[in-house]
Amino acid sequence: MRNKKQRGHAMIELAVSSAVMVSCLAGTFQFGYTFYVYNQLVTAVGNGGRYAAIRTYRAASTKDIEKGAQAIRNMVAYGDAQPGPDAQPVAANLTPGQVDVRWVMDGKGAPSAVNVSIRDYKVDAVFKTFTFTGRPGVEFPFVGRYAPSEREP
Amino acid sequence: MKPKQRGFVLIAMSVTILLLLAAVGLAFDLGRVYIARNEAQVFTDAAAMTAASRLDGTAAGVANANAGVARLPMRWNLGTREFTGVIVEFSADGQRWERAPKDAAGLTMARVTAPANEVEITFLRAAGGPKSLTVPARSTAASNPVRLTQ
Repeated sequence: MRNKKQRGHAMIELAVSSAVMVSCLAGTFQFGYTFYVYNQLVTAVGNGGRYAAIRTYRAASTKDIEKGAQAIRNMVAYGDAQPGPDAQPVAANLTPGQVDVRWVMDGKGAPSAVNVSIRDYKVDAVFKTFTFTGRPGVEFPFVGRYAPSEREP
Repeated sequence: MKPKQRGFVLIAMSVTILLLLAAVGLAFDLGRVYIARNEAQVFTDAAAMTAASRLDGTAAGVANANAGVARLPMRWNLGTREFTGVIVEFSADGQRWERAPKDAAGLTMARVTAPANEVEITFLRAAGGPKSLTVPARSTAASNPVRLTQ
């Protein structure tokens, strides 16, 4: 039997240790989930960058350039340049609109490299929301075919 | 409290804290290690393709390849740290690799290694893990047509 002084100690100990444990578990989940999503984004922009590097750059009009950029954004967001209506994003709530595609042009106006990065992507880790802008990002050399007068099919 | 029970809470707490640190470390430290490995691999892929795309059979092409890799803006450790100690090697046959080849005429392949991505371990260290983990990455690309081969 516990004496009078010890009564209630267990309750206080439980309250204190629970606070510490819950904080630790919340932090673990928060960072673990954020890292998991970030890793998915790194893979996604890597795949998008590789795809952009080898695809034909058609530049007959600004519409063609935009169509090409949209295919790259789709590749990053869905893992597919022409996703179906039921395509699922590779990371939670990632949309093609959150993917930046920027072409680096050489002196002659031809593409020499392509920059693909994530913009304004929010990771909702329940206890906190992290926002990624400009990262992860990749730059791949453009090694595909440059077709300035060819139209996008 | 009986004399035999004295000190039990201390032992139980120590074990619990150690297990807790290990669990936090698995999520936090290993998460960062996996990200660093992925970032390094994507970087070496891009760097190898960049280097291979600059090869044109001349010494200037080799210099351009080295400059192209050095110019890449990619970073690691959640996009915060620059890649250091990057090794760019060239080969004509995929067997013999040189950093500064004397004859650039037959070079068709470039290999990039990012060897120095040392991730500091925070929580696992307290639970008996290492102080840091190095996550190197390497990619090989061929020119004409430029493509990743490894």
